[in-house]
Amino acid sequence: MDQSFDDVWAECEDLFAQARQTLVKLKSPQPAHVIQASVNALFRTTHTLKGMAGMLGFTSFSRAAHRMEDIFDLMRQGRLRSTDSVVETLEAGVLALESGLAGLRRGREEPEDYLHALRRQLGELEALARPAEGGTRDLTTMLDLSTELLKSLSEYERTRVTALLMNGVPIHGVTVCLDFATFDERLRLFNEVLGAQGELISTLPCDVPEGAEGLGFLLIVACATLDPASLPTLEGELVGTALLADPSRVPASMRNEVAVQPTEEPPPEPEAPAAPPQAPQAQEVEILRLPASRVEELEARLMAVGQLRDAASLLLHQPLAAGDDRPAAILGQIEDGLLEVQKSLLQMRMVRVESLFSRIEPMVKSLSRDTGKPVRLSFQGSDLELERNLLGRLSDPFLHLVRNAVDHGFESPSERLALGKNEAGSLRISASQRGRNLRFDIRDDGRGFDLERIEARGLELGMLKPGQTYTPERLHRLTLEPGFSTQTRASQLSGRGVGMDVVRAEIEALGGEIHLTSEARRGSLIRLTIPLSRVVLSCLRVRCAGQTFGIPLGSVVRVQAGKQVRHGGDQVQVLSQSMPLESLQACLGLPEPDGQRAFVVLGSQGAASKSVEVALGVDEIQGRGEVLLRSLPELAHASGIMGGSLQEEGILWVLDPEAVLGLAMDSLMRRVARV
Amino acid sequence: MSEPVTEQGTWLHVKAAGMDLLLSTQDLREVVAHSPVAPLPGRPRGIDGVVIYQGEFLPVLAWKDLPGCEGSKAGPAAAMAVLRPRLGIPLDRLIGTMKVPLNTLKEADENDPAISWIAGVCEVEGQSFRVLDGDRLVALLRRFRGDR
Repeated sequence: MDQSFDDVWAECEDLFAQARQTLVKLKSPQPAHVIQASVNALFRTTHTLKGMAGMLGFTSFSRAAHRMEDIFDLMRQGRLRSTDSVVETLEAGVLALESGLAGLRRGREEPEDYLHALRRQLGELEALARPAEGGTRDLTTMLDLSTELLKSLSEYERTRVTALLMNGVPIHGVTVCLDFATFDERLRLFNEVLGAQGELISTLPCDVPEGAEGLGFLLIVACATLDPASLPTLEGELVGTALLADPSRVPASMRNEVAVQPTEEPPPEPEAPAAPPQAPQAQEVEILRLPASRVEELEARLMAVGQLRDAASLLLHQPLAAGDDRPAAILGQIEDGLLEVQKSLLQMRMVRVESLFSRIEPMVKSLSRDTGKPVRLSFQGSDLELERNLLGRLSDPFLHLVRNAVDHGFESPSERLALGKNEAGSLRISASQRGRNLRFDIRDDGRGFDLERIEARGLELGMLKPGQTYTPERLHRLTLEPGFSTQTRASQLSGRGVGMDVVRAEIEALGGEIHLTSEARRGSLIRLTIPLSRVVLSCLRVRCAGQTFGIPLGSVVRVQAGKQVRHGGDQVQVLSQSMPLESLQACLGLPEPDGQRAFVVLGSQGAASKSVEVALGVDEIQGRGEVLLRSLPELAHASGIMGGSLQEEGILWVLDPEAVLGLAMDSLMRRVARV
Repeated sequence: MSEPVTEQGTWLHVKAAGMDLLLSTQDLREVVAHSPVAPLPGRPRGIDGVVIYQGEFLPVLAWKDLPGCEGSKAGPAAAMAVLRPRLGIPLDRLIGTMKVPLNTLKEADENDPAISWIAGVCEVEGQSFRVLDGDRLVALLRRFRGDR
């Protein structure tokens, strides 16, 4: 089996382990919200397994996972109750999939149906969840809402409203009118607060009160009582609450008659002593799977530092002559040793970007086959590394974006030919390191975002105001907002329920950013910027204005030192090529030096033929080394500085080569302007 | 008949940049001994440099850049107040804490150059104190960044 799939296997194993734990939890009585959260988690797990299997080309496994996903979907909609026998059947299903996966890993052929042994039980569950004769029960009409808003509820939301009302839980509505500039952050806060009070069923755009400015939203939440004082309302924000549906008005014949999740805590045993306080829920822990060699490597490095410490201890007991530099030398060695330890620890958490790309390629092939749209797929930057926990969290957003590109972005082959394009769509995915950020660019040469349609839909949904002009940037951004979709129903390929707002939320939860641009008929670019928490960088150390700086080696084209004294604005010859020189001091706004004998040729990272190169004058070249980069807090962001690293002699500032190139060009332009 | 209860705030009375200042204890993470500030090349206006605090870089305020503090005669800092939004405020001296009824806090004079970073002015026993507003101060520093 291809080694590049090791991470996929490991992740599948983790998913199965989580699924097993969740199913065990469902076997004991749990409060309704725990059951709902567990079923949601199982639904997501099987959804992810389905996607991963599809991506690896295991169609039969994918089909079986899809069937399990459907059953969890029925449960989360409240159509199927979590009883012991249901959980046992599902447990057997998950085990069948898990053992099937183990077989695949050993190179076995795929069976026709992984769930063959359970076909009768699963069939019964599906039949049990089928709506009773006479149609599906739907109590959403009890909600005190306009017909238009009622129509906007999804099937899942309708079933949740119905199930909760039948089980006696009131449904409340919270209307908020939020400022245009900050509504996304504010809305997220409202969602969090309400989600903590009960089950947040839906967030819908709605009209704002007459005379008010901003964006209106209706948040539908099910909880016994809603405390308006707990809402995070800011001064000037219009917030209203109302009871949308009272469960006491549900006809008695409809109460407690169907298989819905219990929403109250299970009643205590009559003679049981007072229940002890509940143990806190186990936190989700991150599990790292590592080759033993990496742990051994760390042990060896720790032992080396330990030996240095012993040597230092011996030295302390010896009389030292003045000028004896052994203590300084040993301190330097300890520092190097500790950096090695830090690197080992960091590497344990790192995985190559290739692992992420390897998940995309088979999926694109399969999508291309299913849609009949040939795709030219290319990757760049697969040798970069990202934190292992990011790999799992980036997979879904990436798969969604790529699906969107193929499903919606690319025209049909005949359309492309008619437009003078290559019959096969181009999908280029690149990764590059920008300081402590990893940047992913997903470019396609498809039809681009239909901004007119986005604007029309935004107006229709009340997310845009009529009579106003919206920039393309604003319209692109609108597609990332909760509640926005130009699709009346999701296509089979783009999956269910994972919209662009979810992609954005996931990226932002990682501290990253997503940015969209497109050009009609030319294609689109989706840029994801993800921060890494710590990075070890190989740097060239230079001295300048009495301070030490590090220049990431990836941007250093050449280093040159000689007797000739040079000044900012001079031209220097490097391998018969003339280029401008600017002092690092001038770039950073430090006092200009009298002249410098050394310079570093900086090139823009990752660029090929059109790279920009500038000679950067420095006072001294000190050599190369690896540093553990820490980022600067927002308030201390300084132009040209990417971050710093703690060194024995103080802080070493690591330059942001791209920014320094820009500063150098600006400074050179100012020199020209002054002449 | 008992007196009506007046809401009180607890303030840290400090000397900073040659001024008497009150800092709300609610805005403070802690006060630590002052350590040398590492100057930041091309530092943004309002920030002197950074110190290491809890293993991370902490930006340190440059009093001299604030309106109303230009040319202030700040002595060598003895301590540093760490505000909740992770900003270090160098202090010349800690004087003590005081409880002050919130209703004694008055709007700052609109001609007070420090109006962009204070919450107002407090009169206590005939002495007037400027009250630092952490949120306003951070907003001002962000504006400085935007002006660059």
